Amino acid sequence: MRIGRQLILGIYFLFIMLPIYWLVNMSFKTNEEIVSGLTLWPTSWTWEHYERIFTDPSWYMGYINSLQYVTINTLISLTLALPAAYAFSRYRFMGDKHLFFWLLTNRMAPPAVFLLPFFQLYSELKLFDTVWAVAIAHTLFNIPICVWILEGAISSIPKELDEMASLDGYSFPGFFTKVLIPQIRSGIGVAAFFCFMFSWVELLLARTLTSVNAKPIAAIMTRTKGAAGTDWGMLASAGTLTIIPGLIIIWFVRHHIAKGFALGRV
Amino acid sequence: MIISRSLITGAIALSCFAMQAKSAPLSPKAKQWLKDEFHQSTLTKQQQEQELLWFQEAAKPYKGMTINVVSETIDTHTYESKKLAKAFYDITGIKIVHDLIGEGDVIEKLQTQFQTGRNIYDMYVNDSDLIGTHSRQNYVIPLSDFMKGEGKDVTLPTLDLKDFIGLSFTTGPDGKVYQLPDQQFANLYWFRYDWFNRKDLKKKFKAKYGYELGVPVNWSAYEDIADFFTNEVKEIDGKKVYGHMDYGKKDPSLGWRFTDAWLSMAGTGSKGIPNGLPVDEWGIRVDQCRPVGSTVARGGAVNAPASVYALTKYIDWLKQYAPPEALGMTFSEAGPVPSQGQVAQQIFWYTAFTRASLKKGLPVVNKDGSPKWRMAPSPHGPYWEKGMKLGYQDAGSWTMLKSTPSKRRKAAWLYAQFSVSKTVSLTKFLEGLTPIRESDLKSPVVTKLAPKLGGLVEFYRSPARTLWTPTGINVPDYPRLSQLWWQNISQAISGEKTPQAAMDGLGKQMDKILGRLERMGMKQCAPKLASKPKGADYWFKQPGSPKPKLANEKPKGKTVPYDKLVKSWQETAH
Repeated sequence: MRIGRQLILGIYFLFIMLPIYWLVNMSFKTNEEIVSGLTLWPTSWTWEHYERIFTDPSWYMGYINSLQYVTINTLISLTLALPAAYAFSRYRFMGDKHLFFWLLTNRMAPPAVFLLPFFQLYSELKLFDTVWAVAIAHTLFNIPICVWILEGAISSIPKELDEMASLDGYSFPGFFTKVLIPQIRSGIGVAAFFCFMFSWVELLLARTLTSVNAKPIAAIMTRTKGAAGTDWGMLASAGTLTIIPGLIIIWFVRHHIAKGFALGRV
Repeated sequence: MIISRSLITGAIALSCFAMQAKSAPLSPKAKQWLKDEFHQSTLTKQQQEQELLWFQEAAKPYKGMTINVVSETIDTHTYESKKLAKAFYDITGIKIVHDLIGEGDVIEKLQTQFQTGRNIYDMYVNDSDLIGTHSRQNYVIPLSDFMKGEGKDVTLPTLDLKDFIGLSFTTGPDGKVYQLPDQQFANLYWFRYDWFNRKDLKKKFKAKYGYELGVPVNWSAYEDIADFFTNEVKEIDGKKVYGHMDYGKKDPSLGWRFTDAWLSMAGTGSKGIPNGLPVDEWGIRVDQCRPVGSTVARGGAVNAPASVYALTKYIDWLKQYAPPEALGMTFSEAGPVPSQGQVAQQIFWYTAFTRASLKKGLPVVNKDGSPKWRMAPSPHGPYWEKGMKLGYQDAGSWTMLKSTPSKRRKAAWLYAQFSVSKTVSLTKFLEGLTPIRESDLKSPVVTKLAPKLGGLVEFYRSPARTLWTPTGINVPDYPRLSQLWWQNISQAISGEKTPQAAMDGLGKQMDKILGRLERMGMKQCAPKLASKPKGADYWFKQPGSPKPKLANEKPKGKTVPYDKLVKSWQETAH
């Protein structure tokens, strides 16, 4: 019975790891080897693709740009969503439920519909081709999900805690930063994780709002496909490197995520 | 009096020029570039120095600026981005960011700038297939006007427009040049020269089909050769071989396969170079310069027998003779397949793959680095007539938009001209193998290199070259019309629709878009659809395209020995 379960798990693990293995495998092959046939591991091992990415600014700047706007976006989203989530959780006011629902509807619209308006707006504000344009544009999608997650996290904490903190002499900001935030850090971890995931893989807005100075790595990767064929090795190496920041984030927030998921809102 | 005044003015101007020339010699950095990088040129060293000196002087008002230009990713542009941009900065002090992105993204950025009027890039390298679009919209600056007016002081005196082999591709219906060619590649017939010369295979082929194995002149011969290698020869040196290679995945690149030249190769369209007039290879009919329809009922030819034949043959050959995986491949996946050594011939092969097919160690390259393959003109279908285009040529060309601020576009224009100037163009050709200048093609350097390039040089020097052209001026909106093709064609590949039904559907959708463009209005030559189409019967009775169905679509195969073909080119070229 136990062996059977392990076998199923093993097969499942193989199944989900195979594409990632294949990506990493390809990143160490030459293009000639990739297109000439099936090899399970690189027969002519090469670092040339990674070398090119790390020495050519037109490649590695893509990672730096992407990391910049993802970080800025996560910080803005959390900073704005925390007080909003607290308000939705603790206060009853006119139209609160409608407003809460309206926030979520922003996520229901595909990013494509915002493309041209955003492009016009950010060009007017002279933010076009800056990491700020992408970071702010992504908040439209990330703040609602943050508010949704954090509202759930705050609601799971008894209201009495607020009152006790007040009796203990905490000011409101003091209570918020020293009592509430540590209590809901799992929720914050989950929210940050979702912000990161959306912003890191979103291509449409990031590509349209930038040209040369703030171009994200996903847009740079499109150059591997040209009229003279696809540069598979470069594409695979760049792809492998895009997985790494995600892995690091998951490593740090893995305990919080488990607890955060248990909160039930996600 | 007037004469003496003009004499004095002339003398002053001359002395000023002499002073200027004296005060500003060519910078040491520029000289270094000439020595290290651009030593292969059709110009003498002195002429090169003069040309660079002109750039150095003309760029003075723009020194210190940062200019952004963009192009797709092929070797030629990579060279420009890495080397030429740097050289240009050292010579002029203008910093160039030559951005490389996917071709689809270039079009997307271009359209965003069209629609919003906001400057994203200062100049674009955009395929000349959009010439019909550019000349009808009000977004693009005609370079002819720019060079005479606003940009006169920044236009290179030694640009020599007549030397560009693709200038007719970038000329609009009004006779104005809209874009400046920067790189060109063609789609040609590709075959295994070594296999085609094997005595045993030649004998076997002749015994079965009754004529010599050679470069096919018509589609019948191509089909026979495809059948021969896939079904008769089957294996060479213990490896499975195929007589055909193509791609068929439902993907935008499937559209290029057709709109680039396929229908004209079969024989759709009228006579006329660079594009058929009044009906072009997209099946669009124009009256003067105004598109009047693409379906046969409106005098177009997109669903005419020749087009249906073209689509049918494409599907049949793909399914019967190509490797089975070809059906699921895109353009860029299928491109490197012939160089893996299992394909005997390919009717629609892009010379952009030349460099990649010459790498040492490939099964199609001899030990001394010479290719086992050759390229040759593509065969034509039964509907094709002399005087029609026979293949496709991609001409990536510098394009300037009205929404770019004047000072920025002038600086960008300097760089664009530098990238095609005679000082650098030969070196650029040797890097990317995408020729643009007649003078480079005729140079002794290229003659020496020719045997290593599998027929590329021979083709470009031949008179046949003029039959290889891009999409022309009949197509009023390339992005909108081109996206209809792959979606309709893929329905025929999957068997959802018959080839006739798929082309009928495509024609209807194209006419709908033409109608929409007519209502929208265009700067010039807007479509004009007749309120009552004259019907297919009327048009089939008229001479030329759309042509009625032929009783026999498979005439006898005809081939020509490759070496004889090359010799005939060489004779006509001299």
